[in-house]
Amino acid sequence: MAKRNGLTLTDVLITVVIALVFAVIYSLWDGIYTILQPFGLHLNELVYGMWFIAAIVAYLIIRKPGVALIAEFAAASGETIVLLQFDISLIMYGLIQGLVCELVFMFFRYKSTSLMVAVLAGIAAALSTLPLDWYYGYLGHLETWNLTLMFSLRILSGALVAGWLGHLLYKALRETGVLKFVGQRADDSHEGL
Amino acid sequence: MFETVKKYNTFIDYVNPLTKILLAAILFVTVIFIHNPNVLFHLTILMLITLLILSGVKLKYLILLLLFIFISGFISSLYMIFYGEGTETLFHYGIIHITEESFIRGIHITMRGVILSLFGALVIFTSKITDVFYALMIQLKVKPKYAYSFMAAIRMVPIIIAEYFQLRQARKVRRALIHKKYISGFKGLKSTIVTLLSQSIRRAYRLGIAMESKGFTDGSRTYFYRTSFSRYDLYLMLLMAAALIAAVQLGTVITLFDTTDAR
Repeated sequence: MAKRNGLTLTDVLITVVIALVFAVIYSLWDGIYTILQPFGLHLNELVYGMWFIAAIVAYLIIRKPGVALIAEFAAASGETIVLLQFDISLIMYGLIQGLVCELVFMFFRYKSTSLMVAVLAGIAAALSTLPLDWYYGYLGHLETWNLTLMFSLRILSGALVAGWLGHLLYKALRETGVLKFVGQRADDSHEGL
Repeated sequence: MFETVKKYNTFIDYVNPLTKILLAAILFVTVIFIHNPNVLFHLTILMLITLLILSGVKLKYLILLLLFIFISGFISSLYMIFYGEGTETLFHYGIIHITEESFIRGIHITMRGVILSLFGALVIFTSKITDVFYALMIQLKVKPKYAYSFMAAIRMVPIIIAEYFQLRQARKVRRALIHKKYISGFKGLKSTIVTLLSQSIRRAYRLGIAMESKGFTDGSRTYFYRTSFSRYDLYLMLLMAAALIAAVQLGTVITLFDTTDAR
């Protein structure tokens, strides 16, 4: 197959399907997230990073412009389809997080698959929606220790759950050999071998 | 999709999905700029009435859904009720410190979530998912490769869910043979995700190649389903505007909360 740079139908389809697998996982994850909420201690923020993982895994697999954004949007709207709940804030958050991941990957010219890039994207996504949360949830009126706890747990989660776990999943997927024909392949790539 | 739970259709069923999504986005921005809990309270009531009458869904299903919406909305704002700033103490135990201000602020955040969920439920009950993608292609000129990828992928969701249960059962059968850490815990989670992803990527790749070889291109095409804008779109916009204006007016007349600013 000739090397093509733009997004092909297959690329988009694979991206969306990856995102929808994560949408199913997100829907199960939603339960964990809700259980951790009642104490108000932001323990739920520890698992928050799971919500950006679709963008990171899809990028690592396909490595083309636009993939992170499509993946995150598809995963957010996929939750609508799986849970049959339409939540506009979810889709808005998804779009912003996807866009920020996309910017991080653009900075690395869609080439790097290193752990560092994944972790950076995770942290960027964690930071990206804090301003929106600030206005929506009146975070400025929280006691300072509680706010600090929330911010640090979310950033930690973005780095660990989204970045590190996302990269781990990518490596495991590469070992299975399914990435042989998928996405952008560098000339020195050993994928699928 | 909701034939079994629906009792009747209303004009909202004929509103273009894009209009509904746009209105939802406007509503999202609007509730962020409303700081008066009284206004938000009346908007919640109006949205509740709208959902009850115009969704056309049987009451017993709606009540179940409403319970879920209100409880999960309340839980997600507990952080503010427990740890928000304030001076008039209502309850103090350990690190939990509920004040009048933080309580009202918490309820305010709950109502924001509930309003969005109520409108979201109305949209879900009155829209077909495929119509969303046809509207995106026809009205917004989104490239067919994106829209059809989504529609094809959505058809795979039941397969993904079935595969997940199959995997769980396969592990159950082999429980005696597999080390426990590969079933529960982190390794279990990882192997579940990797299995689901790798199967789905294979399937998507095959489907993508098949669609490409059948000449699926971005050129001009005709559509089996047609979506359009109509006078019903205007009705829904007017309804939402009326609800908002009514809520603002009622909020100054009937005041449930002493304060006019939750901040």
